[in-house]
This record gives sequence, structure tokens and C-alpha cells, in this order.
Amino acid sequence: MAEEKPSGLDERRAGFARYKKDVKERGKSFFPYAMFHDTVMSLIVVSVIVGLAVIWKWTSYGPHHDGLHKGLIGPEYAPPADPGTVSFVPRPDWYFYFLFYLLRIFKWPETVFLGTIGVPTIALILLLALPFMDLRRERRPSRRPVAMVAAVLTIFSMGILTWKGATAKEALASEVIADVPSWVTQEKLPAAAIPGAKLFATAGCTACHTYLGTGSSNLGAPDLTAIGTRNLGISFQIRHLQCPSCVTPGSPMPKFASLGTARLHELAVFLESSKGKR
Amino acid sequence: MAIRREPSRAQVRREQMLAAATYPLDWLEERSGLVGGVKYFLFRKVPSDTNWMQTLGSATLTAFLVQAVTGVILAMYYKPSPHDAYSSIQNITDHLTMGWLVRGMHKWGASVFIILMFLHMGRVFLFGAYKYPRELNWIIGVLLLVLGLTAGFTGYLLPWDQTAYWASVVGINLNGTAPFVGPWLAQFLRSGQEINGNTLSLFYSLHMLVIPAGIISLITLHLYLVIRLGVTSPPWSREAAGREVVEEPSTVRTGLTRPAPHGGASGGSD
Repeated sequence: MAEEKPSGLDERRAGFARYKKDVKERGKSFFPYAMFHDTVMSLIVVSVIVGLAVIWKWTSYGPHHDGLHKGLIGPEYAPPADPGTVSFVPRPDWYFYFLFYLLRIFKWPETVFLGTIGVPTIALILLLALPFMDLRRERRPSRRPVAMVAAVLTIFSMGILTWKGATAKEALASEVIADVPSWVTQEKLPAAAIPGAKLFATAGCTACHTYLGTGSSNLGAPDLTAIGTRNLGISFQIRHLQCPSCVTPGSPMPKFASLGTARLHELAVFLESSKGKR
Repeated sequence: MAIRREPSRAQVRREQMLAAATYPLDWLEERSGLVGGVKYFLFRKVPSDTNWMQTLGSATLTAFLVQAVTGVILAMYYKPSPHDAYSSIQNITDHLTMGWLVRGMHKWGASVFIILMFLHMGRVFLFGAYKYPRELNWIIGVLLLVLGLTAGFTGYLLPWDQTAYWASVVGINLNGTAPFVGPWLAQFLRSGQEINGNTLSLFYSLHMLVIPAGIISLITLHLYLVIRLGVTSPPWSREAAGREVVEEPSTVRTGLTRPAPHGGASGGSD
């Protein structure tokens, strides 16, 4: 390419004209040559789909006569939706695991939107802009090192995130309760707040809320490290725990009335004593 | 005037039969040009080195068609209300003749469709097939990927079981964290303050009307552009269509440290 060259666009146009000429002169007819390959591939696709449906049905329902049983590739259905459960761990379909896991990386409240919206939006913009960023005519992978490295890194990171998302476990109550002593020292919690702290650690609160970095923010629920600084009052906290959406319309938080007033009082004391790291 | 031999009776009969057989096609062709269009589609030339990797696009289309057909059948028996959804899914799976197969194919076909979209995209990337003049088709493809994922997200809620419900709670709250539009978007997706029957109706309508209509329109455009612009040859092929015959001198290799004079992310001003 040492000699004077016309503009990039002219080159690309000439390349496409050469492509059309080559196809016209040396190409093969779509039917039956290419179409044969397409037909075979389509048959394989349909067979795989039917195969998966059969394995799914026969391994989950077949031997047990119960669609809830987890077969080789998953149950036919989970129990009916119950907005009141507290212990159910949300799981998206597998192709959203990478997004799901991003949230664990950006779990601090100020960075959550990076995981939920930021990174996916940037990835989408990069994908849409790809043909305008890569204007070289070169198509051979061996001569496109930047593109190939980017592709390998993308596949690698999506793969890792999907795999981590698939094998991720929610923090167990026994793990969370181990953090309680450090909460007491960091927040200088009074002795009266300790039963509530233990309850907070074991009742599933950290499935949605974070407290001094413990817990998950998958559901976008607020961080409760310094909830006490809002001075909402013990009685408000109890009423809110009993029926969150009655106190805060639209709150997706489940009801905890089943814990009973005495334990809700302990929780409320703990929450009101949580004035943040001191 | 030259003397013409009269055609034999059998010959006349054969011609009449042929004309009668092709009459419907001729009728259609005269009024629509569709026959010519199909002929063009079938007998158009593709590069001689087109290979198996290039079947991924049509495989994706097949997976989508499976989704469309099984989806229509499911829609005949599914009831989009919190009270009936779960039991209608149970009915389809356990009692309807072949219902388990239709639902199973729809459920697993979704995963196959999404995997194939990614594989097809990877193939296009590997072949550099998104380059001039196929930029627009790449963009349509990316939009199809987004729509496909949205279809998966909205379809996941429909069985109205625990997995469906809680995954949608999370999914909707994730949308809610977007700056500025987030709360509005979450409110729209819930179609109210909390996930209930309205949410289910909204997701059902998006899943079986809005998104499929979008996907079908974009696939039509996508195929139109594939036919108009042609299929790319594998870039490493010796007979690649459009290949420059003159080899570049090896001293002027382009790559990481030496971007091509015209192009590259920084140099492309055209």
C-alpha cells in the first residue's frame, strides 16, 4: 500500500464492486447448494429443541409425577408466586446471569446503577458503534489483533460472569450472624440492640438490604447502615415491618408481621440504634 | 414463407397441460412479481466458499419460527391473570395433549434462540462481515439481540410461579436504578405501584404482541439487506469474493502498532 491511495470510502466501494463481480462470475447458486446446509442446520436446531423439551419433561415429571421435582435440566414449574415469602432467592433465566452477577461486583449503593444500567448500556453502545469504529477493510482475523483480543476478552468475561452467576450463593444466615460483633463495635450499638441485630442477620433482611457492606442490593433496597439517623421512631419501624406497603405505598418489601410484635420491637430497636459507623 | 409442420396432437395437448399447470403462477407473477422474487431469492449467487458457519443466521431464524408457532399455540390456552396463570400453565403441561411438548419447546427454544443469536453475532464478528457496506445490518442485528433478550425477560414472568415472580421483582427494580428515567421505567413495567395482575397483562401484551411484531419487522429488514448486499466469504479463503489479487508487501503489515493509513479507530475521518 505504498503508492498513492484514494480515500478509504472509495477503497471500500471498489472492494464491494470487486466482491459483486467475483460472486457473479465464480459464485454458486443459493439453491440448492447453500440452502442444503441451511436446511440440515435448521433440522438440527429443531431436533435439539424437541430433545431438550423431552429431557425436561421426562426427568422432572416422569419418574415423580410432580412438575416441581428438579429433573436433569430444571423443574417444570416452581411453586405458585407468593409475594409474601421472605426466603425465596430470586433467579433470572440463565442468559441474564452475567447481569445478575455484575450487581454483586457493584454492590455498594452508589455504584449499583453502574452494574444495572451503566455497564450494559456502554456495552450496547460499543456494539452499535462497532462498524463505525472499525473502518479498516481488513477482514482476516490474523490481521485484526485488536478486534480479536477484544472479542476473546468479551467472551471470557461474559463466560466468567455467567458461570459465577450460576454458582452464586446468597449469604447464609450463619455467615451474616458472624458479622454481628463487628457491627456492635463499629456502630457502638447498645446492648439492647443486640438481639435485634441477631434477628436482622438471620431473618433474611440481608437478602435485599445491605448493612456495613454485608448483604445484597440485588433488589435495589436501601442500605440500612445509618437508618437510625432518620429517627423514624420505634413505632414507625414496627408498623413498617408489619406491612411495608401500607406505610410506604409502592414498597415491594414483603410483610414481616409473622415475626410477632416482640421480635419486631427488637428489630426496631436495632434499626433505630443504627446511626452509622462511629 | 417457410413450411411449418403442424404440431402433433400429443404436442398440443402437452403444451395445453403445461399452460394450465403454470397458469396460477403466471397469474400471480403478472399481478405481484412474487414468483420472480422467489426465483431471484433461490437462484441468486452466493460466494463459492460459503460454509457451515454461515448457517447460523438461518438457524436463528428457525429457532424464532419455533418460538412463534409454539407461542401462538400456548396463547390459545394460557390465561394472563394472577389467579389463573399458574393453573393454566399446569393444565398445558400436565393435561393438554402434547401440551408439555409445546411448552417445553417454547421454554427451551428461547434459550436456543438466544445462544444462536450470540453465535451468529460471533460469526459475523469473526468474518468482519459488519464492515462496509453491511454496517446497517449489524445495527439491526444488535437491535434484534436486545429485543430477543427483552422477549426472554417478559416471558419469564408469565408462568407466575415463585421463580418468575421474584426474578421479575429484581429485573424491574434493576431498571428502576437507571438515572432520571429509572423510577418512571420501573413504574411503567410494574404498570402501577406493585407487581400484580396489571403487570402480568402488560408483560403478556409486550411478550406476544409488541416484541414479536418488532422482531418480525427487523428480521424482514435484516433478510432484505442480506439478499441485497450478499453473503461475505470467509476472510481466510483463497477464493474469497472481493479479495485483492495483489499481495501486500510484507514490510507494510498493519496491526496493533501500525494502523492502516485509511481507517483504524483514530484515523477514519471519512
